[in-house]
Amino acid sequence: MRVHLNSTGARVAGAILIAVLLFLAGSALIEGYSSAFSIRAMLVLACLLAVACVGQTLTIIIGGIDLSIPFVIGFANVVAAQLYGDGMNFVLVCAIVGVLALGIGALNGAISAGLNLHPLIVTLGIGTIVQGAVLVWTRGFPSGSAPEAVTKFVSIGGSVGPIPVPWLIPAFIALSVVIIVVLNRTPYGRRLFALGSNPRAAALALINPLRMWIVTFALSAFFAAVAGVLLLGFTGSAYGDVGQPYLFQTIAAVVIGGTALVGGRGSFLGTVAGAVVLTQINTLLIGLGLQPSLVQAALGLVIIVLVSLYGREAHVRATI
Amino acid sequence: MTAVTDSTARRPGIVWLMWRRTGFAPLLLLVLLVLNVVLNPVRFAPGNWGTLIGLAAPLIGAALASTPAILGGRGGIDVSVGPLMGFVNAIVVKVMITELGMSSPFVIVPAALLIGAAVGAVNGFLAAYVRIQPIVATLGTYLVLVGVTLTILPSPMGSVPAWLKLFSGSLSIVPLAAIFLIWWGIRRLPYYDHLMATGSDDRAAYTAGVDVPLVRFLSYVVTGVFAGIAGLMLTALIGSADGNIAPTYTLIAISAVALGGVSLAGGRGGLLGAAIGAICIFLIQSVLTLFNVSTFVLQIAYGAILVIAICLTAIQDRIEKRARQR
Repeated sequence: MRVHLNSTGARVAGAILIAVLLFLAGSALIEGYSSAFSIRAMLVLACLLAVACVGQTLTIIIGGIDLSIPFVIGFANVVAAQLYGDGMNFVLVCAIVGVLALGIGALNGAISAGLNLHPLIVTLGIGTIVQGAVLVWTRGFPSGSAPEAVTKFVSIGGSVGPIPVPWLIPAFIALSVVIIVVLNRTPYGRRLFALGSNPRAAALALINPLRMWIVTFALSAFFAAVAGVLLLGFTGSAYGDVGQPYLFQTIAAVVIGGTALVGGRGSFLGTVAGAVVLTQINTLLIGLGLQPSLVQAALGLVIIVLVSLYGREAHVRATI
Repeated sequence: MTAVTDSTARRPGIVWLMWRRTGFAPLLLLVLLVLNVVLNPVRFAPGNWGTLIGLAAPLIGAALASTPAILGGRGGIDVSVGPLMGFVNAIVVKVMITELGMSSPFVIVPAALLIGAAVGAVNGFLAAYVRIQPIVATLGTYLVLVGVTLTILPSPMGSVPAWLKLFSGSLSIVPLAAIFLIWWGIRRLPYYDHLMATGSDDRAAYTAGVDVPLVRFLSYVVTGVFAGIAGLMLTALIGSADGNIAPTYTLIAISAVALGGVSLAGGRGGLLGAAIGAICIFLIQSVLTLFNVSTFVLQIAYGAILVIAICLTAIQDRIEKRARQR
């Protein structure tokens, strides 16, 4: 029983169970919580968060962490709006933003792994530089707008044929399937877990840690940029600090989803469940009429309680 | 710990020991100090040093506070240091001084220390005994503290008694010295060796009979107490209660700690390095403001210097390792 409780599968199941329980509680406590509009809104918000969490999941599995995600989100958000506002073709805009993000992430990974520095501090430093560069470029006043297509893609009122959800939802489900398959069924995924659980053994198995870290952090920044562009469509205008709430939320979602911060264990399905849980808690607390500051305090408590339920680490005696 | 490696060769000089313990940071400190004094002789005139120390004190305090938890290793970190300083600030100014009318230092100082120790104990309990990953556990207390602080203190208000205001200038050395004195005491206890052993290799420490959870728990309590003192320093500097300033100290403090040669993996470094790292960051900010560049450029430079400095520290480590193997 004990073994089962500690396995990643059980943690993911726990996160999903809590998401369901929260939904039932919300429906019972708040009128309109389970209305079609409210569900759609929560789905869209959870999807946006989960896209930002893709990279956090990967970098945490490899044994790192990525604090540059909020800065890259803000970077993509502002740069995409600015370039599109200047009349550039949006496909080209996305390509530029994507390539720049990949470069930022690759730099994160290269410095962290190449010099054996803690990624927490490296990504924080690089993130600060990125944010500063964006501010210098826009002189602190980002302008521009979102293209119609992106706005429609993430709009809460959108629909896919007869189904009343925006295209974001099916696209995200497809993305999740791809990520889960990549993590579980490809050499990249196996190397990722191997490096995370035991870097020394992974090196003996001829896994190149430097290359893996570069690729993984580049992917992380790339998905942060995707989230930034999607957020641009969601809010309609550029805002450099749009990513700030995602700094801790991505970490919280990943951990609630059962991924261990020490690396080597975790799943993207869990992260998605974690993102749904966080979105619901937020909606629930605001729906109950709490002040924003108290919502934050309650969110902190809930994170601690949830993680202490099923996200506990092994005692040091069990690791010998 | 360093004594083991050089039993055969000459005794290490004080410079070498300093280099080992704090890394590249003292050199950077020297360069920055010279740069500041040369470029801005007025601001850095000897008469102004008190004010400067006062301005830097809360950041130094936050960096010192962040260190013990990080030394414990296995992801040990306390991101709630900044919000805890803000919480102490709010309780002291809003609740104790304004509402309850208590302004005696013999009430306020123990209260700040007690609040710090209590929050530190909660963090330590969550991280060491409940075994939640420290960054998540302290993130939880971060959110709770920020939320509670903003609830009891929706907008900045209040003033502080004269004795506390005194510590905003050159006298801010006193609380910093108090922190170093406490740490000096801790270093004379077996606890310090246990902490460093746990930080370097918790499994080896555990097999050697060290109570690893207790050691880590206590490191968070020490961090909390130091954060309580740092909260008082912040209160002295701003002279009022403000819920929005303190949380920003967390990430800068962690940067300062890393800059000061404290390994984020635990078991290496000390308070001196953290303090030097914090002063470096203060001087970086100071020299950049001097160039009258926009705050945006300042941010780029700040990030770049941080990254370059930790890279240099890592490179220095490699050279040292190679030198030892030879």
